[in-house]
Amino acid sequence: MTKLTRRTFLKIAGAGTAAAALYQVAAKAPILRALSAEEQATAQDRQEVWRSTVCQQCQAGCGLLVRVVDGRAVKIEGNPLHPLNNGKICPKAQAGLQVLYDPDRIKGPMRRVGERGGGQWEPISWDEVIAQVVSRLTELRDDGQSHTAVFLTGRALGQMEELVARFCDAYGTPNHVTHNSISSSTTEIAHLLSQGQRSFFGYDWEQTNYLLSFGVSWLEAWRPTVRNAKAYGHMRRGRAHERLRMVQVDTRFSITAAKADEWVPIRPGTDGALALGIAYVIINEELYDEDFVAQHTLGFEDWTDEDGAQHMGFKTLVLRDYAPSQVEAITGVPAETVTRIAREFASTLPAVAIGDRGISMWSNGLFSQMAVHALNALVGSIDASGGVLTQKDAPFLPWPELAPDRIAQEGRAQSRIDRGGTRRYPLARDVYQQLPESIANDDPYPVNALFLYYTNPLFSSPQPGLFHEAFEKVPFIVSFSPFLDDSTTYADLILPDHTYLERLQDVVPPPGLGYPVVGLGQPVVAPLYDTRHTGDVLLEIVQALGEPVAQSFPWRNFAELVQYRISGLWRSEKGDITATEFEFFWEEFSRRSVWSDPSYRFGDWERVLNTPSGKFEFFSQTLRDELARVANGDLERLLDELGVQARGDEVYLPHYEPPETVGNQPEYPFFLNTYKLMAHAEGRGANSPHLQEMLGLHVNRKWDSWVEINPGVARALGIADDDWVWVESPIGEKIKVRAALYPGARPDVVCIPFELGHRAYGRWSENRGVNPNWLIANQTTGLTGALAPFATRVRIYKAE
Amino acid sequence: MPRWAMVIDLDKCIGCQSCTAACRAENNVPFVGPEQAELGRAIFWNEVLFHIEGEFPHVKASIIPRPCFHCENPPCVKVCPVGATYRREEDGLVLQRYERCIGCRYCTVACPYGARYFRWYDGEWPDGVDRYQNPDVPLRPKGIVEKCTFCVHRLDEGLPIPACNQACPTGARFFGDLDDPASEVSQLARSPRASRLLEDLGTEPRVFYLKEGA
Repeated sequence: MTKLTRRTFLKIAGAGTAAAALYQVAAKAPILRALSAEEQATAQDRQEVWRSTVCQQCQAGCGLLVRVVDGRAVKIEGNPLHPLNNGKICPKAQAGLQVLYDPDRIKGPMRRVGERGGGQWEPISWDEVIAQVVSRLTELRDDGQSHTAVFLTGRALGQMEELVARFCDAYGTPNHVTHNSISSSTTEIAHLLSQGQRSFFGYDWEQTNYLLSFGVSWLEAWRPTVRNAKAYGHMRRGRAHERLRMVQVDTRFSITAAKADEWVPIRPGTDGALALGIAYVIINEELYDEDFVAQHTLGFEDWTDEDGAQHMGFKTLVLRDYAPSQVEAITGVPAETVTRIAREFASTLPAVAIGDRGISMWSNGLFSQMAVHALNALVGSIDASGGVLTQKDAPFLPWPELAPDRIAQEGRAQSRIDRGGTRRYPLARDVYQQLPESIANDDPYPVNALFLYYTNPLFSSPQPGLFHEAFEKVPFIVSFSPFLDDSTTYADLILPDHTYLERLQDVVPPPGLGYPVVGLGQPVVAPLYDTRHTGDVLLEIVQALGEPVAQSFPWRNFAELVQYRISGLWRSEKGDITATEFEFFWEEFSRRSVWSDPSYRFGDWERVLNTPSGKFEFFSQTLRDELARVANGDLERLLDELGVQARGDEVYLPHYEPPETVGNQPEYPFFLNTYKLMAHAEGRGANSPHLQEMLGLHVNRKWDSWVEINPGVARALGIADDDWVWVESPIGEKIKVRAALYPGARPDVVCIPFELGHRAYGRWSENRGVNPNWLIANQTTGLTGALAPFATRVRIYKAE
Repeated sequence: MPRWAMVIDLDKCIGCQSCTAACRAENNVPFVGPEQAELGRAIFWNEVLFHIEGEFPHVKASIIPRPCFHCENPPCVKVCPVGATYRREEDGLVLQRYERCIGCRYCTVACPYGARYFRWYDGEWPDGVDRYQNPDVPLRPKGIVEKCTFCVHRLDEGLPIPACNQACPTGARFFGDLDDPASEVSQLARSPRASRLLEDLGTEPRVFYLKEGA
């Protein structure tokens, strides 16, 4: 544990206020000595200590130092040693103590009594609750029904995600279902198709001179946010050379749009066309990076494959279909703007184009995301200074070999409950939002047990009512949540986890810096209540299940497991901690709560371009192969089923096709944009009163939801600011919410933040504001298995 | 003694409100809850203001964090009938003697920057929430006025950085001694990008803003 006095720490942190200066400070040795200063009694004889850990309010995992006075955590600051945030933190991190000390936390294991969701619980001992889970799991395994146990995970971090996966493998179920398909899975799939990387990317922001963002809330909600914010300060004012130029293409005037040099309010769902229009100008005016395109890409020019078949190149397609005037007709962005941005982008190098959920979670989103990323290839920003980085993995010690028995093997061989990877959703790994339908129809089999870890489907899935019906059908639901959230309220058993300030948890930040970083969340105070680490609980369950399941888990507790995996970092002899013995390594690692290996070599093409051709594929052979795998020789029919409109080579190239929508004009005149705010992280901050009280900066709203409407449109509908309105969608749902007349709203788009509207989750969130998910049709894109949350149109009228 | 001043670079500020959250946590500023917030009674020693103007698609927004400006010539001090608010001689901080304040709110009216807040309620610290209170900062009762102190308890401990500055992710905030011509704040305060709010009122704020844009 890091120990230092408040005075010492703050002197260190105050040594340089500019982010860059802090970075240098953090890299130097003296700070380490200062951090290790002994715990001191203050003048008032208080026992005061600073403990290092990492934040887990979002998955970024910024480094923290927590001030603990007489056993109470009283303040959170950033840890200057963590390379992701260098001592800086966001408001969610600052509000962390309101999570720890939330008076409505679950105080011990509980068993439902009475009706599901009736709110009647009785305390139960840990031994008893674990015995009940084990008995159920044993029963299912003995009946050859292990595959009917489903494990839903959301923001599972570090080894917890992998432990759950291993648990499912050893126990015998293919149904570890993550929430990625309702989050942002299309982006990762697009990166898989073009670069062979099923992941997000890092970015070398410090050197970037031009940022073209397609709908990314880069400064508010794009992980790792503090890293982006820090880079932004540097790019605008922190460096002597060129000041960043930033263009925000977005359907709403976000904070990022407000800070950009230019806002391009595009027609919703058409971002792919704009990216291709920009590509047109770059190609047509020969502004692209000829060396990179010639050496490291496939499918730019027309080409012939090894079987002698002719294929259309990206260039031919773009020059045929995406002249700026054609693009203007689709996107509403003036042709001259398209041309100007293209010229700027290709001449203000290094330039980076980014897109994510906002553009990719549409029926055409995979192709839009591919089109945006193709711009990076055109200007040679793939794996270049100031460009896109391919995240290096940390050298964890490999897991010991898994020893599934026959039952486990048979269970795992069953088809997944969510149909991921099948003909229905060929590119999907998980299809979270498919569960209600599968469960309702026992398709392909009934679900007999459902486990919820860090996920809240009754709040965060589209049409939460569907999941609610599914819950009714599942006979056994277990939640590990520390909070009585919307879904936990409907569980049968609650095995409450510690909050993140009370538990050990390694956190691998999402791709950001390019080089590997591993953070360590550590308990800064003793657990307040009778809660247990879910990792420990899973290992207890495994032991109780006995052999052969238990033999895949040779660890007594989660801490041992984490140490096992972390020992790979020590063995690699890389990174910023070296030690002769693992014991010393661990000591230093837990003192800093972070390890990193800040080296990144450009031009490691084998790693970076992991495609069948070893090149950046404008023409995705992976997509071609994956479709062939499930097409049974009838590609035409498959494409019809998947809702892909293109045919021929165009299918495999970045292209634009009109997005599918739910509901049509004039009945439902508006698109609905449900976005995320800095002060909340997808509804998870709703139980923090400080965050509630600083919620809607741009519309000056607190503690409640709002719907952003263009003022002219609102006037025409007879709606004034703060009026109550109904927002209604074609699925027969409507929600009542107050109007915020906002000049940054497009006339054809209304916006409701996705943060509030919980039906449970403690006194500060229950029944406060609205959850726009109730309006959103459960519309899944066949190709990717990803939710298309922006497809649902709505209408608005004044509430009487 | 130093003459403390703050510089906020509006080009770097992204309105994340980390400063606001850090200030609340550091200074035991309570939340007031939805009903009181609706009445405009939420307290922000450091508030981030957002102003949008124009009509779609030609809109422009400005984001301005607003702590107390610790004016050289503070109107709030002049109007206080009981000497509760005062300018500390040695470093010019504008501070408040809570025990002397009678809650008349002359100062909240006199402050042209809206930096002063009347405490309508004691503040909610239910069921153990008080455990995260900072022991270095006194709790205030209802019926008094309070505001940003530049984290005087930190300064007096020899820590020359308020909580808001320490948190700021973009590095938009600077703090230091205006009497030291070599200090970062002195240099930035002299830059052509620097200005102060409502300068013509003669309040001589010691918070400087650096304007946005190239």
